[in-house]
Amino acid sequence: MPVCNFFLQGRCRYGDKCWNEHPAGGGGGGGGGGGYNSNNSYNSPAQQQPRGGGFGNRVWVNPSQQKGSYIQPSSFSSHGTEEWGGGGGGGGGGGENDWGRGGGGGRRDNVSFSAPNRFSTLGTPSTFERGGGGQQVETIQMDMDIWESSGQWGFSCYSSFKTPLSGFTDLSPEELRLEYLSRSASGEVQIYVNAIKELINQWRSRVQELKVMNPATRTALLAEINNPAPQASSSDFGSATVFGSATDGMESKGFGAPAPAASNTFSFAAPSGGFGSLAAPGFGSALAAPTQPPSGFGSSIAAAPNAASFSFAAPSTNKPAATSGFGSASGFNFTSTQNAGGGGFGSGFGRVEGLGSSGFGKTASPPAAGVGSAGGASNSLFSHESNTTPEELNQFKAKRFTLGQIPLKPPPVDLLVV
Amino acid sequence: MSLFGATSGFGSSGDRCLGNDVEVTSPPDDSISCLAFSPPLHLCFQILIMGSSFTLLPKQMHTGPVLDVCWSDDGSKVFTASCDKTAKMWDLNSNQAMQIAQHEGPIKAIHWIKDFSVSSLQFWDTRSPNPMMSLQMPERCYCADVVYPMAVVATAERGLIVYQLENQPSEFRRIDSPLKHQHRCVAIFKDKQNKPTGFALGSIEGRVAIHYINPPNPAKDNFTFKCHRSNGTNTATPQDIYAVNAISFHPVHGTLATVGSDGRFSFWDKDARTKLKTSEQLDQPITACCFNSNGNIFAYASSYDWSKGHEYYNPQKKNYIFLRNAAEELKPRNKKW
Repeated sequence: MPVCNFFLQGRCRYGDKCWNEHPAGGGGGGGGGGGYNSNNSYNSPAQQQPRGGGFGNRVWVNPSQQKGSYIQPSSFSSHGTEEWGGGGGGGGGGGENDWGRGGGGGRRDNVSFSAPNRFSTLGTPSTFERGGGGQQVETIQMDMDIWESSGQWGFSCYSSFKTPLSGFTDLSPEELRLEYLSRSASGEVQIYVNAIKELINQWRSRVQELKVMNPATRTALLAEINNPAPQASSSDFGSATVFGSATDGMESKGFGAPAPAASNTFSFAAPSGGFGSLAAPGFGSALAAPTQPPSGFGSSIAAAPNAASFSFAAPSTNKPAATSGFGSASGFNFTSTQNAGGGGFGSGFGRVEGLGSSGFGKTASPPAAGVGSAGGASNSLFSHESNTTPEELNQFKAKRFTLGQIPLKPPPVDLLVV
Repeated sequence: MSLFGATSGFGSSGDRCLGNDVEVTSPPDDSISCLAFSPPLHLCFQILIMGSSFTLLPKQMHTGPVLDVCWSDDGSKVFTASCDKTAKMWDLNSNQAMQIAQHEGPIKAIHWIKDFSVSSLQFWDTRSPNPMMSLQMPERCYCADVVYPMAVVATAERGLIVYQLENQPSEFRRIDSPLKHQHRCVAIFKDKQNKPTGFALGSIEGRVAIHYINPPNPAKDNFTFKCHRSNGTNTATPQDIYAVNAISFHPVHGTLATVGSDGRFSFWDKDARTKLKTSEQLDQPITACCFNSNGNIFAYASSYDWSKGHEYYNPQKKNYIFLRNAAEELKPRNKKW
């Protein structure tokens, strides 16, 4: 919900009936996307507004439709509440609230959204302070769903809001094809095939994980989003930027420098596999540095400091999820791949072979390789008592949640009364 | 001048194919990665990707797949950029090829600007063996476009850099990508005064973003649209999403054409924000497209773009290049506002 500007000035005439948020202490307001028009005058060329962007409609947009400031609403398909989603309930700080009701209501009667449910954000497990978080996570889930079912190219980085999400490698078809060519020239096609399969698996499981969004992933994700790391693309690669900023107990310091990247790369390409860019010493390293393919399991932040290679290049030095707070589930997944990875190429990825298909299709079933998120779900449904702070415990124990203090974690098992 | 096939020349009178588009006779044996029309003469030139034996070029020019090609201003020289890390200049008059650039990695894009030829961000004077200037890019370059004095490079990890090329070329701005997925192609467009004013960026996710460099109203002027999806605008049912392989702007009208992995091409008017036309579906993805200098001919190439991995790679499948009369279909619509 956007913060009421008038309240901040001390002159909100609706008082408790106001549909905007009156923050305690007059401050607050969530983070939110930037880049909106702040047309503060009602006379802005409004006939363009609905086509050009739903920005004026922010107040009433169903928060679950928010897509962040990124996707400008497309006018090519004039349908679709998704396209309107330029603004959002949760995120908003300040500024545009003059649209609120006053003139905005009058002119915006073409807004066909359901009656503004001010409390709809309560439905999503996020607090008001971090109201944006809930919608963002849902956006990601939706995107994952679409990605998986649409048959689009899987080897792509992904980002919803400025920060690229970890766990996705960026590979272009040309790079793959080049690789294939050079492999087939030297007769090692099978290696290529295996590598691709492995990559596909990782991608699949990461997508699954984000789709299913168990609380561990969710928290990890929110941490990543809210501590925006400098884009990996702007860093010299190999630096821990994407992960370095994520707070909780991550040990990715070992990430270090291009040095590991340059040497022990990936057997995918000859040492100079990068494409065109002057900065890219090698294929594998380019891939590995910003994103962590092997760490797609469990928590995304459990990025092992394995800058150098994919999991099948060399027995990787992945530390299983340093962030043990996210349950041992992730550790479990890790080690199982470890073994497979450690075996090196062509050593029979038994499970992988079992998958059979070429992988780019629309198979809906999660990979049978045992690294799916199914494994992760088991012990992270409830938090442990020790993991919850006293405030959260109080919230759980209270009869109702207090706005602004709703915990992000699930309650401990024993607090549940069935 | 015959440019392709070991045998014949320009097949404009070749066999008709589906939909009244003229098919170029004796197309290359392998996937086509780029097409370029020469400036003054309306010759179409295509390059093979893959394979070190090029039946297309009279000599074996490159030892690795060729990824990009461009013409010089006067149409007498052709520059090719290849995965064997070199760029070569082929003088058509004398039929000689000369290496002009050396990179550390495969070269993905090459463009001619006035007296310099830019290749993947090294600026070369064709006369000297050393680069005039090198600019570091943070990531692998996936696509680039140059319209003097602006150059745009889209890199891996959703990077987007704009360079200004006057005097000493330098980085002008790094832009946050308006798209969520991997960048695939980029094309610069010009405003009414023929100055480059923005670019169109295509991704693997069936989406193109139109982005102006200095728009009066960024939130309204920049937008994205979905394309190359199987279901059109109906987002209720799951749709197939295809990558946008190439974007090309009509030199006269300012409308654009996109070609995708779904084997279709589409024409769009970005000012009226409408789609002008979508083609029938070809059985192979369309990998490259370009307009000739006066905008009458639209050429597009149909071959496998590796979008489904190696399993679908069928070397026996024939590749096509089609030419289409583009004079009428790309006229812009009347503006809606």
